[in-house]
Amino acid sequence: MSAAAPVVRLKICMAGESVVGKTSLIRRYVLDEYDDRYLATLGTKITKKAMTVPGPKGTDPVTVHAILWDIMGRPTVRELLREAYYHGAEGILLVADGTRKETLASLDDWHRSIRSVAGDIPTLGLVNKHDLDPDPRLAPEGIKAFFEKRGWSWAYSSAKTGEGVEEGFRRIVELVLKDRPAS
Amino acid sequence: MTAFEIPDTAVVVRARLLENADDLDALFVLAALRAQDGLVAEGISILERVLDLNPTYPGGWRFKATLHRMRGEDEAERSAWARSEAIEG
Repeated sequence: MSAAAPVVRLKICMAGESVVGKTSLIRRYVLDEYDDRYLATLGTKITKKAMTVPGPKGTDPVTVHAILWDIMGRPTVRELLREAYYHGAEGILLVADGTRKETLASLDDWHRSIRSVAGDIPTLGLVNKHDLDPDPRLAPEGIKAFFEKRGWSWAYSSAKTGEGVEEGFRRIVELVLKDRPAS
Repeated sequence: MTAFEIPDTAVVVRARLLENADDLDALFVLAALRAQDGLVAEGISILERVLDLNPTYPGGWRFKATLHRMRGEDEAERSAWARSEAIEG
């Protein structure tokens, strides 16, 4: 009889400006629900999600318990809280709002802050609210160039319709597993 | 485009605490705001209230370690860090 495959625990930090939809993305992914009302996140909320993903390098599927840290999008005290929030993170899910150009540019600051604590860990960008009319200043080529320049994988998403949500969370977990040293 | 203004953090914190004086998230952010304003001891005191109410509040002990470090309180920093390691790994 073979032993049960070990469960891998991963801490993933969600970051990005206020009202980009971080909490809604988690809610869509974990509960398959969406609520139009906005309630600002204060502090952080932790959500656990179990998933099975293909093993890195073609090995057997791996059961992952992703610990999703939904961090408030208020830069006011970001630097003060960075150790509290980012210590031990293994992956970063950066979220921008496709209807507000400035939220894309701000991802650099969030990424820098997380990296200063957690090191050079896998990063995935999500350009959320793809169900809405985009900011006319945000051309698709510009978005693509932004992420390519930084070497980050990325995708469009919509917490409202579910577009790209499950794929996004799975992708960041796969990137983290691929990045981990073989055990 | 998003049609509403994003309220100031301090305003949101105040509103939440008016609704519930033990709102842990609001107290946690209030501790950070106080420390940001240079009132680190007050921040620690507020944070201790958070950790009394919920000893596993996410990031709470690590933040406490940060604040003690800002005050040069090495032993308290080490102790808070050890608690955070025990809880969050």
